[in-house]
Amino acid sequence: MKLKDIITPFSAWSNIVKKPVTIKDPLNERPGADRYRGFHKNDVEACIGCGTCEAACENQAIDMVPVDGIETTKEDSGLRPLVDYGRCCWCALCVDVCTTDSLTMSNEYTWVSDNPDDFRYIPGVDKKPWDNSEKGWKKPDYSLYDPKRVDMEEIEPDDRISNFIEIVKGYSKEQAEKEADRCVSCGLCIATCPAHMDIPGYIKSIRDGDMEKGLQLLYDTNPLPEICGRVCTHRCEEVCSIGVKGDALAIRWLKRYIADNVPFEDYKRILGLDSLPENDKHIAIIGAGPSGISAAYYLRTLGYRVTVFEGKAKPGGATMYGIPKYRLPMEMLEQEIGLLEEMGVVFQFNTMVGREIKFTEVYTAYDAVFMGVGYEKPYLIAIDGEDAEGSIQAIDFLRDVNENKKPDLGHHVAVIGGGNVAMDAARVSRRFGAEVTVLYRRRIVDMPSDPEEIEGAEHEKVHLEPQAIPTRIIKDENGKVKGIEYLKAEMVADSKGGRPKPVAIEGSETILNVSTVIGAIGQEGYFEFLGTEFLEKLEMNRGKVITKENMETTIPRLFAGGDTVNKTADAISAIADGHKAAKGIDELLQANK
Amino acid sequence: MIQEFTNTDDILKFAINREQESIDLYSGLAGQAKNPEMKKVFASFADEERGHKKRLENIQVSGQFKFNESQIRDIKVGDYLIDVEPHAGMTYQEALIIAMKKEKAAFKLYSNLAAKVEDPLLKSIFESLAQEESKHKLRFELEYDEVVLKDN
Ligand code: SF4
Repeated sequence: MKLKDIITPFSAWSNIVKKPVTIKDPLNERPGADRYRGFHKNDVEACIGCGTCEAACENQAIDMVPVDGIETTKEDSGLRPLVDYGRCCWCALCVDVCTTDSLTMSNEYTWVSDNPDDFRYIPGVDKKPWDNSEKGWKKPDYSLYDPKRVDMEEIEPDDRISNFIEIVKGYSKEQAEKEADRCVSCGLCIATCPAHMDIPGYIKSIRDGDMEKGLQLLYDTNPLPEICGRVCTHRCEEVCSIGVKGDALAIRWLKRYIADNVPFEDYKRILGLDSLPENDKHIAIIGAGPSGISAAYYLRTLGYRVTVFEGKAKPGGATMYGIPKYRLPMEMLEQEIGLLEEMGVVFQFNTMVGREIKFTEVYTAYDAVFMGVGYEKPYLIAIDGEDAEGSIQAIDFLRDVNENKKPDLGHHVAVIGGGNVAMDAARVSRRFGAEVTVLYRRRIVDMPSDPEEIEGAEHEKVHLEPQAIPTRIIKDENGKVKGIEYLKAEMVADSKGGRPKPVAIEGSETILNVSTVIGAIGQEGYFEFLGTEFLEKLEMNRGKVITKENMETTIPRLFAGGDTVNKTADAISAIADGHKAAKGIDELLQANK
Repeated sequence: MIQEFTNTDDILKFAINREQESIDLYSGLAGQAKNPEMKKVFASFADEERGHKKRLENIQVSGQFKFNESQIRDIKVGDYLIDVEPHAGMTYQEALIIAMKKEKAAFKLYSNLAAKVEDPLLKSIFESLAQEESKHKLRFELEYDEVVLKDN
């Protein structure tokens, strides 16, 4: 035994008078470093419940859970992260990937409780002493994903104004993959897409380089991806979680990339359309617009025989037939119809129900009927002089141009309206060399047109005149348009919280010398083709056909969809309606077997 | 011949008759309309007018005339639109134009009468009726703004 071993027990007593090394009040006496990764905080108001934190956590320490008082909306899943400190390793990856910067960490690190359940909590909802702590870990200045969208190449305004060549060039492989890399697969966009397309799924297929899988995912819910990839209203992008702090994913362009990069001759094989089931039921579709084409596609895949009646010589309906070629080349539509024909769908063009064939005949001869007749009848501006020569309707004008007719517009065109149809009419008029002024009653921010259409119009030197209410069209001695008079408007707040109302200012009359006036204030449906007997049974509300959840109208076996049914009146909603109706028809006919 | 108004009762009778004329007009249009939805639209306009008539009749019975102090907003949507001649194939847009124009004419009529009479009580009753009509006009104008002018 050494001497030290004998002495130590006695000398240890000297510690009794020394300052202890343990800390009585560690939080105050030894706080975490300023950027310590301590307990989580969440700004629940800023959080949108995208769940990227949950997906990123390697330890599965985060669960997205519903929270009382937080509603599910288009932009917010209504869920919030619940952290489990039995699993968390405080790596802060969840904070670093947070799309809204709402999730942070305090620098506090001690917490005593004898109840293990306490250590599973919802930051920001379950109140904690560190909720207001300023210090701790926040998302670093750099981002784990690029907040900037990959720019889409376009033909320059000066080069495009003299022709109808498609403006948008489409992504290259590198560009598409780079853009796809920005997606955090949160899925918020799926709920907003009217067709509920598996957006993160097809974006992933771009990352994986698996175009065939991508195409299958597109067609699962949308049989017109080449078209939607060009002209969709892309409301999904409005809710993209990456868009909160940066640019939203270019979802529409990525969809287009997949559709454009699979050879069309391979579609049938990839989509499994080579041998489709056949049954003896026959369905009639009225109208070859997006809803009719969608219903035809899905009904055919379910084994039904399908005949589409279309009054015009070409498919597309008002939504697509009227879209200028610089936004949607005609070949796209023709290609799509070709696929349906190969699947066995029969198209009867130049056959308008109510004109060439009676609705009763169709209704009696077929097992079920779907009508997707669209908004074909334009609203009138309803002002004096609208009957002048040179006062025309945008949908007729756009259709004529798509049929290669050359309009005589003269030197200056006034377009009335602020929707996509108005922008199309304005930009097409520019391509015929006319000076163009768009008269719109409200402010530019109120325009229902897609922002990029407004921007495109401005780049092409279309003059936008907001807060302008047309009051009369002036004719020359031959009854031709000579000018248009309008009043300036002031915006008056709506007491019920709706959009502000433009009110004409007396005495602010302005006259614009124009040679053509194009009305583009909106359209409504036209149902006279049904005949009185059926029309009386068809329940409608303010011009919209009322349908059940399965899209069946108040007339048994007659289903409907598209602009005349849904509120949004765009191609993707029409496609979703057609799909729903196909399922509805299938369920009805299966049940009646 | 310009009608003479000497007391409240005269005015109420006149106003009730006018509401009845509107009921008859809209019911007639409902009967004429080819499209069943438009039949319903006109029938609902007639119902609204029935409601207005009932209000006036209640006032007639109770003698309680509530003056409407608040100024009704005029968003002037119908002011520059062309007149529509009623016809069997009328659209919703045309029906709304007819209704807006009708309410505007009624508003003008009562405002003019208010300006003409001397008696302060009668004046305020006419003003109140004018306010009421402008409220009806606003209701149709808001509908026009929301449905027909959605994209404009
Ligand atoms: S596209 Fe945007 S919203 Fe959709 S899954 Fe990706 S990140 Fe989320």
